[in-house]
Amino acid sequence: MFTMMNRGSRLETSTDRAEELFQQHRQEIFRHTDKLFAKLMLVQWVFCIVLALVISPRTWDGDSSQVHIHVWAAIFLGGAISLFPAWMTRVWPGAVLTRHVVAVAQMLMSALLIGLTGGRIETHFHVFGSLVILSFYRDWRVLIPATIVVALDHFLRGIYWPYSVYGVLNASPWRSIEHAGWVIFENVFLVFSCFRSIHEMRFIANRTAALEASDQNSRQLFDEAPIGMAVVGLDNEGFKQVNARLTQMIGYSEEELLGRTPLNLTHPDDLEATRRLVKAMLAGTDHCSVEKRYIRKDGEILWATRTACIIRDKAGQPCNFLIMVEDITERKRAEEALRESKRNLEAALEANQLIMDNSQDVICTMDESGRFVTMNEASEALWGFPPQELIGRRYMELVHPEDRRKTEKTAADIVVTGRAVDFVNRYIRKDGDIVNVLWSASWSASKKMMFCVAHDVTERTRIEAALREAKEEADRANRAKSEFLSRMSHELRTPLNAILGFGQLLERQKPTEQQRSRVQHIISAGRHLLNLINEVLDISRIEAGHLQLSVEPVAVAEVIEEALNLMRPLATDRSTELSVDADLATDLHVLADRQRLKQVLLNLLTNAVKYTAIGGRVAVSVSMSESSKMRVVVTDTGAGIAANKLARLFTPFDRLGLEQSGVEGTGLGLALCQRLMHAMGGEIGVSSSLGKGSAFWIELPSADSPLKGLPKNLDPLGFEDPSAAETGKILYIEDNLSNLTLVEQMLAEQPHLELITAMQGGLGLDLARQHLPDLILLDLHLPDIPGHKVLARLRGNKLTRDIPVVIISADATARQIQRLMAAGARSYLTKPIDIAEFFRVIEETMRERKSALECAAA
Amino acid sequence: MRKNILVTTLLGLTWVAAVTLGARTLLRYESTPGRVGLVSATWPSASAIQRSAERSTLVVLAHPHCPCTRASMGELAQIMADAQGKVQAYVLFMKPNGAGADWDDTDLRHQAATIPGVTVLTDANGTEAERFGVKTSGHTLLFGRDGVLLFSGGITSSRGHAGGNAGESAILAALAGGQVDYPQTPVFGCSLTRQPEQSGGNICLR
Repeated sequence: MFTMMNRGSRLETSTDRAEELFQQHRQEIFRHTDKLFAKLMLVQWVFCIVLALVISPRTWDGDSSQVHIHVWAAIFLGGAISLFPAWMTRVWPGAVLTRHVVAVAQMLMSALLIGLTGGRIETHFHVFGSLVILSFYRDWRVLIPATIVVALDHFLRGIYWPYSVYGVLNASPWRSIEHAGWVIFENVFLVFSCFRSIHEMRFIANRTAALEASDQNSRQLFDEAPIGMAVVGLDNEGFKQVNARLTQMIGYSEEELLGRTPLNLTHPDDLEATRRLVKAMLAGTDHCSVEKRYIRKDGEILWATRTACIIRDKAGQPCNFLIMVEDITERKRAEEALRESKRNLEAALEANQLIMDNSQDVICTMDESGRFVTMNEASEALWGFPPQELIGRRYMELVHPEDRRKTEKTAADIVVTGRAVDFVNRYIRKDGDIVNVLWSASWSASKKMMFCVAHDVTERTRIEAALREAKEEADRANRAKSEFLSRMSHELRTPLNAILGFGQLLERQKPTEQQRSRVQHIISAGRHLLNLINEVLDISRIEAGHLQLSVEPVAVAEVIEEALNLMRPLATDRSTELSVDADLATDLHVLADRQRLKQVLLNLLTNAVKYTAIGGRVAVSVSMSESSKMRVVVTDTGAGIAANKLARLFTPFDRLGLEQSGVEGTGLGLALCQRLMHAMGGEIGVSSSLGKGSAFWIELPSADSPLKGLPKNLDPLGFEDPSAAETGKILYIEDNLSNLTLVEQMLAEQPHLELITAMQGGLGLDLARQHLPDLILLDLHLPDIPGHKVLARLRGNKLTRDIPVVIISADATARQIQRLMAAGARSYLTKPIDIAEFFRVIEETMRERKSALECAAA
Repeated sequence: MRKNILVTTLLGLTWVAAVTLGARTLLRYESTPGRVGLVSATWPSASAIQRSAERSTLVVLAHPHCPCTRASMGELAQIMADAQGKVQAYVLFMKPNGAGADWDDTDLRHQAATIPGVTVLTDANGTEAERFGVKTSGHTLLFGRDGVLLFSGGITSSRGHAGGNAGESAILAALAGGQVDYPQTPVFGCSLTRQPEQSGGNICLR
């Protein structure tokens, strides 16, 4: 009963929306009519009081009077009738009960009025009027209680005043039916009117819903259009409505745009044109389209196609502009890029033409059949034919007959591969001379054309031929030199062997002092000659690229100590003090070939001792250079070297004028040192001061010790169960003490393995034959015999040929590995050693060795 | 919401009760007749009014300020129209002693004066009313040509209520020479003379 029409939910369909609108409209009518009756009730109440005061203000008793009961009835009964429905309209506006209470009250008011007027027939019109006003609700049901009240009123009046109501005595008995008939008659029309009104309301609701749907579609079209849209006031009044796409394009929010005009956003260069268009539209042009620039919020330029049309009001008068903005920035950029490309193309064409006009090379095109299509003027210089004489001719006509076959093949290849460069063939000039032509050609499958550049290489070909001949001559000379050096080495060493050998024998046969002196001269000269031969051969190897190095971490302190030990006898003879940094760390390592590093140090120390006066001092120190390299400095207190001679210091055979100083030397030592250092990736240098001495230094990349990171307990990395592993004996032939120490420590935790070591190849071979180890670990760079030769000798000896040999080397080239595996190595491990791999290889090798021995025994 | 429903329900019940009580009170008032005196069965000889010997004489005693009698004047006009000259009618408006000259110069008196065939007279201090034994305004008496009372009572069906009624029908029947079913009817109007003090309130009620 108290249900209020409040359907706030958003309805989806037009039908639902129409129903919602209809109910809203009905509810609105109910509320408005409630308000009308609230006022009417109060007016009627006041009217009743006034009416009572006018018609029957007082009642008389002879000459005295009192207020008439009608006045009190008008005040109190009228108030009672009016106030409650008036209150209901305030508290329950639009409710069903409210309008039914109003209907009852209105008819009670009619009854009161009829009573106050003494049943005047005119007041009966109040009944009919009330029914009409009740029909303002457009709810026929309110007529039911109203009619019931009228009927009850007449019924009650009939009880009290049957004569006047029904006219029993002198009125027609059908009068009550007549009265009821009039009321029913009116009710019929009012009900019909209500139904009619509801029908019209539904019609209006349906139309409104349809219009709303249409508006919504228009709004959705506006909001979700893929182009920017806006409603703009006439005469630059500003944006009134904008869609999301426009805000995205311009970069301003909707609120920001609504405070601006299109001209605020227009590029200054386009303002005047925009104003002219606006004027033209206001003058009668319905719509126009223009390409213009807007300035985005971020300052960027937005190119857009702006189409505008006029929105007119119902009277047909212009009221707004509708503008549609399409972003064409990308298109404009593409157009600009196209223009730029076109300009570039034109420039390129112009440049090409200039190139063709000025080129010394022939630039030409040929069709599929090999006929010249275009040609520049350079053809006359190359072939003696001007372009006009060549265009239309087949190029093959000019090709030297001996080159035609390869030219045809190359042309066919170009069609397949697309291009060819550095193709040279010979052409016969107009004057009969032969020219060598270098071709660069490409084939365009789409155009069926070959684009060619021909360059006269006749002179170059001649020079190249001469160069080839010269190189072949140089190679022959080089080979002759190498052969010469080899032969020299052999031929010189052979007599030297006899000289030194017999010289030493003579020295052991207790010669006289004079004979001893002479023999020592022979031996000294022979050794000098042997050093000279060795150094010349070393330099020759280095320059030929045949020097083999084993670069690996080398303990600097060990090498220095070894070199000093070798130099001490000479230093003692010359009373020269040899010293080294007291705090030289033993774990400093450099990347170098151990033997070659020791050779360099020996050379520097020898020079220092030799060129330092008797009683002088030679010191060796180690430091880190600025470039984080290890620097070893050999300092002497000799005579020093003049600054202008330092540049010649490393030149072979240049002894800086000391040839007659009495100090022995070949002039090759420092040159050899420099080449060795460079070969090891190091540097060598000198600083010297006349009269004070010199300081020769070498620098090498520092390296971590191979022992670094070695775990304390190797079991987890080695044999899983040492007790279950194979026992055996291992021979390790290695000249690098650090590597020896590393392997010693690695195997120290494996008590079932016995390690024997040798630092020379020869010693290693002896130990192998003597101990017959289960496994031999072999380094390739040994001081006496190269590792591959040691391997060959092991394989060549029947005692050692079955002992597995595992190569451990820093040379990890595939070629080297392949060569040594083919030579009989069991495995090849590269330095730095992968400990897990090391133990795996050892275990596998030992197991195989044991199996082989057991099979042999069986 | 529940509170509003409760208040509305209570007020609605109160409203129904108040309207019912008010309507009942009003109905009771309007249907309660005035006092009826001892009316003479023949024309009182002491009366100063000249009775017609050729036709019936109708006498209406009225209070010039009684609103209820306005309906009686309307009915009288109807009777006079229907009687078509068969009756001599007098309307006597009571005027107490000491009242002002225009005390009885009311619209009611003017209304009566406009009724054709009606003679309006002033009943000083209710003398004639007393002679005819009438105590309530609107009391109508019909005497035959022979001075015999044919009808006595009111000519409205209730207090101040216009419309057909038994009194009017009886008078017209008597004038037509027919049988009078209701020679006496209740009279609804103000008292012509001050009635004795009663315990009740309204002077229009007995």
